[in-house]
Amino acid sequence: MDGAFRKIDIDAFDEDVLQESELYEADSRDPAQVLEEVKARQTSVRSYLAKNDVPGALTAILENAPYGPNVEDAKTISLQTLLTILNSTKSTEIPNVLKALSMDSQDTLMKYLYKGMAMSGWADSNASVLLSWHEKLTEIAGTGCIVRTMTDRRTV
Amino acid sequence: MPEVFTISQTPVTAHAFNGDRSQVAVSLNSNDAQILTRSGSEWTSNELLSEHDKTITSIDWAPNSNQIVTASQDRNAYVWQQTPDPVTGKTIWKPTLVLLRINRAATHVRWSPKEDKFAVASGARAIAICSFDPENNWWVSKLLKKPIRSTVLTVEWHPNNVLLAAGSADMKARVFSAYIKEIDERPAATVWGSKLPFNTICAEFASAAGGWVHGVGFSPSGDVLAFASHDSSISIAYPGGPVHTIRIPTLPLVTLTWTSEDMIIAAGHDCQPMVFNGSDAGWQEIGTLDDGSHAGPKAGPSTVGRLKTGAFATFRAADSRGQSDLGTADTKLTTIHQNTITSIRPYEGAAGQVTKVSTTGVDGKLVIWDTASISALTGRMGAMSMN
Repeated sequence: MDGAFRKIDIDAFDEDVLQESELYEADSRDPAQVLEEVKARQTSVRSYLAKNDVPGALTAILENAPYGPNVEDAKTISLQTLLTILNSTKSTEIPNVLKALSMDSQDTLMKYLYKGMAMSGWADSNASVLLSWHEKLTEIAGTGCIVRTMTDRRTV
Repeated sequence: MPEVFTISQTPVTAHAFNGDRSQVAVSLNSNDAQILTRSGSEWTSNELLSEHDKTITSIDWAPNSNQIVTASQDRNAYVWQQTPDPVTGKTIWKPTLVLLRINRAATHVRWSPKEDKFAVASGARAIAICSFDPENNWWVSKLLKKPIRSTVLTVEWHPNNVLLAAGSADMKARVFSAYIKEIDERPAATVWGSKLPFNTICAEFASAAGGWVHGVGFSPSGDVLAFASHDSSISIAYPGGPVHTIRIPTLPLVTLTWTSEDMIIAAGHDCQPMVFNGSDAGWQEIGTLDDGSHAGPKAGPSTVGRLKTGAFATFRAADSRGQSDLGTADTKLTTIHQNTITSIRPYEGAAGQVTKVSTTGVDGKLVIWDTASISALTGRMGAMSMN
C-alpha cells in the first residue's frame, strides 16, 4: 500500500495547531546577551578549574544554561566548555562532584550528556567520558533524571 | 498485608468499586466492561457490559445512585443503570447513550460528588460536562474547551460539585468551573474563586520540566491541587501560594489519590505506590506501601529506579561476560505489581481519612493496600549501584 499520505503535514491544515513555542516558557534573555553570558562563564570555568574546583565549574556552566531557539552558538560553546570540565575530572572524583550538584544542575547535566552523545563527530572522541558520567549520574539522580531529559522541551 | 488478586492476564484499563465494595467494574483492555463479584478471595465475573465498539478507556461507579459510566475510544460514553429486564424480569445493567459531541476518543470519566453530573475528558481538546435532562430523558453535555491545547488525560472533581481539575498533554494542570445553571446551586466562594460561571479558568499550573499531566487530585478540603506529570515529578499547588514540586528519581507517576489533607499516594511506571506527606510549608516523599516482601525473603525494600532488574542483569551478563543464562535469570520485579500501575483509588474510609486504597495496572492485578503500612525506601542510592 502506498504510504505517502502518512507524510502529509496535516498540521499545516489546522488553524488551531499547537506551536512549539506554546509548550514551554521562552528564555526572557536576548540571544546576544545569552552568548555574552556564556562567554563570560567560559572564563570563570577556567579559573574554577585552575583552582581544581570541579563542582564550582560545573555549577557555573549548568546554571541558567541557554535553551530554546536562536542561541545555537551559545549552546555549542556551553557544550564545549562542559566537555573540558568532564574530560579533566578523574573518574574516582565523579560521584562526589555529582552529589554536590543541585537537582536542577543534575537534570541539565544529563541533557548535555545526551546532547554530546547525539552530536555527530563529537561523540567519537568523548564517548567513553560521556558514558562514564552518564552511568554515575544515573546512579545518583535515578532514571527520573533521564525521563526529565526526554520530556523537557527546553533543550540545551 | 496488601490483598492481591490476579484478575486477568491482560492489562486492566480501569477499575471502579460499587458503594459497599462487594463488586468491581473493570475493563480488560477490550470493548467490554465486566462486573466482578467478590466470593471469598476470588472475583468472579457475572455480567458483561458490551455496547462500546472500541476499547474502553475509563470507568466510574457512582456509589449512592448505583450508576456506572463508561468512556471509550469510540467517542461515546454510556450510563448503565440496573433495571428489570422486560422479558425475564431479571435485573440487568441497561445502557443509555450520552451525547458527548466530541470528535476524538474519550479518555477519562468521573462522576461528580453529588452524582448528578459527570466529566468526560477527551482527545478533542475538550472536556464534556454531562448532566441529565429529565424533560427529554437523556444525558446532555456542555463542553469545556478554552484554553485546552491538547488531549485531556485526566479529570477529577472538587468536593463542592462545581470545580473540576484536569490534566492534559499540553503539560498543564487546570482548574475549571463546571457550573451547570440548571442543576447546581450557586457555589460558596472557595480559595479558587468566588464568581464561577461555566468555563471559568480558576487556576493553571505548568508541569515543572514539561511532561504530560497524567494524574490530578484535589485534597479532601478541596483547597489544594496535586498533579503528577511525565517528567517524573509530582507537584502540590496552593492557589495564590506556593507550588511544591518533588522530582522523583524513578520512572514517572501516572495516578494519585489523597488519603488525608497531608498525605498523597501516587503510583505509575515504577510499579509501586509511593507515599508523599507535607503541608503548605513543604512536601516530601516518605516511603512506599510495597515493602518488597512478596518477592521472597532475599528482597528488601525495593530499589528505586531498579537498575538491576532481571532483564537488565541478563543483558549485562551477556554483554560483559558473554553469558546467556536466560533460564536462570529472575525477571520478576521485587514489587507486587509487575507492570505499570494505571489507576489508584480510595477503597475504605471517609474522604480525608482513607485507610485503604486499591490499584490496578498493566499486569492484570488488583491490589488493596493498607495506607498505614508505609515502609521507607532505605538504601536506595546504594542499592542502585551497578557493580
